Amino acid sequence: MDKLQLLLLLALALFAIGLLGVVIRRNLLVMLMCMELMLNAANLSLVTLARQTDTSAGAVLVFLVFVVAAAEIAIAIPIVLLLVRRRHTLDADAYADLKG
Amino acid sequence: MEALLQEFDTLLLYVFAGLSLAGAIAMLVLQHPMRVAMALVATMIWLGAIYGLVGVHFIAAFQILIYVSAVMVFIIYVIMLLDVRDMAYTRRYAGLLIPGAIAAVVFFGVLAATLWRTVEVPLTTTAAFGIGQFAVDFLQQYWLQFEVTSVLLVAAVVAAIAVVKAGGKDHG
Amino acid sequence: MAHLLTWIVVLPLVGFVLNGLLGNRFGKSFVTVVGCGLPLAAFAAAMACVLDLIAGGAREPLVHVAYTWAVVGDRTFEVAFWLDRLAAVMVLIVTGVGSLIHIYSTGYMHEDRSYARYFAYLNLFLFFMLLLVLGRSLLVLFVGWEGVGLASYLLIGFWFEDAEKARAGKKAFVTNRIGDAGFLLGMFAVFWALGTLDMDKVNAAYMAGPPPAVAASVVGVLLFIGATGKSAQIPLYVWLPDAMAGPTPVSALIHAATMVTAGVYLVARMSGVYMHAEFASSVVAVIGVATAFFAATIAVVQNDIKKVLAYSTVSQLGLMFVAAGVGAYGVAIFHVYTHAFFKACLFLGAGSVIHALSGEQDIRRMGGLAKRIPVTFVTFAVATAAIAGIPPLAGFFSKDEILWYAFASGKGGSPLLWAVAAATALLTAFYMFRLLWLTFFGRSRMSHEVEHHVHESPLSMTAVLTILAALSAIGGFLALPHWLEMQLPLPPVPDALHHFEWPLLVVSVVIAASGLLGAWYFFGNDAARAQRVHAKGLHRLLSAKYYVDECYERWLGRPLVWVSDRLFLNVGDRMLLDGTLNGLARLAQRGAGVLSRIQTGSLHRYVLFVLAGSAVLLLWSIGRV
Repeated sequence: MDKLQLLLLLALALFAIGLLGVVIRRNLLVMLMCMELMLNAANLSLVTLARQTDTSAGAVLVFLVFVVAAAEIAIAIPIVLLLVRRRHTLDADAYADLKG
Repeated sequence: MEALLQEFDTLLLYVFAGLSLAGAIAMLVLQHPMRVAMALVATMIWLGAIYGLVGVHFIAAFQILIYVSAVMVFIIYVIMLLDVRDMAYTRRYAGLLIPGAIAAVVFFGVLAATLWRTVEVPLTTTAAFGIGQFAVDFLQQYWLQFEVTSVLLVAAVVAAIAVVKAGGKDHG
Repeated sequence: MAHLLTWIVVLPLVGFVLNGLLGNRFGKSFVTVVGCGLPLAAFAAAMACVLDLIAGGAREPLVHVAYTWAVVGDRTFEVAFWLDRLAAVMVLIVTGVGSLIHIYSTGYMHEDRSYARYFAYLNLFLFFMLLLVLGRSLLVLFVGWEGVGLASYLLIGFWFEDAEKARAGKKAFVTNRIGDAGFLLGMFAVFWALGTLDMDKVNAAYMAGPPPAVAASVVGVLLFIGATGKSAQIPLYVWLPDAMAGPTPVSALIHAATMVTAGVYLVARMSGVYMHAEFASSVVAVIGVATAFFAATIAVVQNDIKKVLAYSTVSQLGLMFVAAGVGAYGVAIFHVYTHAFFKACLFLGAGSVIHALSGEQDIRRMGGLAKRIPVTFVTFAVATAAIAGIPPLAGFFSKDEILWYAFASGKGGSPLLWAVAAATALLTAFYMFRLLWLTFFGRSRMSHEVEHHVHESPLSMTAVLTILAALSAIGGFLALPHWLEMQLPLPPVPDALHHFEWPLLVVSVVIAASGLLGAWYFFGNDAARAQRVHAKGLHRLLSAKYYVDECYERWLGRPLVWVSDRLFLNVGDRMLLDGTLNGLARLAQRGAGVLSRIQTGSLHRYVLFVLAGSAVLLLWSIGRV
């Protein structure tokens, strides 16, 4: 197993763990953090492949992901704050208003 | 000497990969959000170390600066603000533990198997990928995207303010 | 000069638009000027065109393509106007009599609230009628055909506040639609066989060369079904007597002089087809003579002055079809022409009587009007004599020619046909003089109130009556069949029959005279003898118009209602259509109900779907990518 495969495998594992975390954890903040983990996994694969092809495009994408992540968290956190202020709970299952 | 260094690098890479994986798994099992946050911070730091090892030092620096310091500080701050001890705290898992785990394993397994079978050109270059070259590329080829991100950030700020204001109205 | 043809048609349309849009705003004098001026202008244009046609020897028709309607493949549908001898006669009748009746209407309708609407409709009618007469293609003719039906409907139901009159309009429209179905089928057949609807080309195709794919009789019968609707022949005549619900000038113009002759005109126009359609021609003749006799018998006992005239119109139209059926198309058109004068005069005279009696239409409550309204009386008497066939008035010539060809035509003439037609002529003379007697002679049977108000009509009405009476008197001297012969050849007469011509002429004079004498015998001296005649059963049968309306209602109307209600409404509409749609809606609702269970609102479950979905996709894609 060379480094490429190792790093891609790691990225894959982190992504799967992040996704699984979003599925199984109740706490809204933990779910948010798991999404951050997924973004990190994506970053890792971008960097790895950028190194393999020896281009700068991957690095640029990573930079953009940073920005998106910052923007995302800047909006997600106020939303969580508002939700908690309304229902006084961080349990995602409490917010099932979209039930059909 | 060179070969020894190579070996050492590879060894470090395995160590860092294992540590970050461990941090990620810890995120799944720890109960208190603060501990989860700490595990995430650890994972991010180890990832930063990996970036350093493969030669993109400036991304490693960004990783620490933006993720660990900015984003995670923000999250930790909120965790401290909202120390709600409710169902989400006492019962960490929703009811979908087993189907979720199965799906995740299948997902990971299929992709890993595919990765295993397709052996591409091995990653050999560990030569440093300098910030200089990155900056030149960035501002020559990707300046438009760079400007667009600023729009995105402005939009995010405006949206955040709007969300807070809307919430404020609801509660008088 | 040919472009004037378009103006003939368009001028009344302009009148319709002006009167319809601005008439109520600008007042009655504006409506009068526009409503009468534009038909007169159309008449002048028509006159100019006809003179032009005659100056050119009237051998080549005037043609003007006003507009290319549609191009489908290599076929072109044009709005083209076509003026030949036949169309010339018709266009002069339509614009001439039409203009006169417009002028008459200014007096008759003067007090009506909807003066502008009335003239707008009348102008609209004229527009469509001219389209019908001048159209070169069956398609244009059909547009006019439908349009006059519309105008007729609007004018019959002109006083639509009265439900009875509105219903009469509806009846006319629906009955006409039945005939129109036949007309349309005929058009389809022609187009399918020949690929053109231009009537001159259709005629030429049937006249010359190998017979086209559709037999002439098929086309002939289908078109004649349309004609029975518009020209009120058996079995579709029932609308015309009811059409008398409209204003009297409308009855004169549309339901006597012009529109109802459209069927005769159509047959004459398609003479090239009918000449080679023996079966269709005999159908035309038989239906025509049956209608003529049948309607004449009904007319004998009617008491409404306009109903008598209506049945008389049906009867006279039947005679025209007899002429067309035996191949004497020119003679049929000749009768159209004389009939337009005397029937318009009769209707307008009746209108004048009704006007004088403040709306009274029942001849049992008239009598003794001859001295009170002399102009109306004299003109009415002249027209009556004309329709009865007293020589030398117009009706005598045309009717005599019809009887002659019914007897002697080498194309379907027969003594039996002649006998029935002659009996019709006798009845016609009888009931017309009965009408004259009961209306104008004897003692007054009017109520005191009505009698007090009797007055002669204004000049606008009497002048028109006088002109029409004069035309009814002298119109027959124009040898129209001869002038039309180049285009509409008269049927051959077997040599053996030539010596019958003079005796038959004498017989028709005798017929007219005996009708006159019979009416005088029965209805002179205040109808004393007529009251002594005991034929209650026959009288009841005739008064009830042979119960035809009742039979239609019973055998056609009710079954149709039953079928529409039970089959189409309950089974077809409610069960099949609504059922299908409701079923689909219910299916969608239930499906949505099932699918909405997926919408748990649980964030976790949604993410699990994403995860599981991508896992399944990946599994599926193994070995494929």
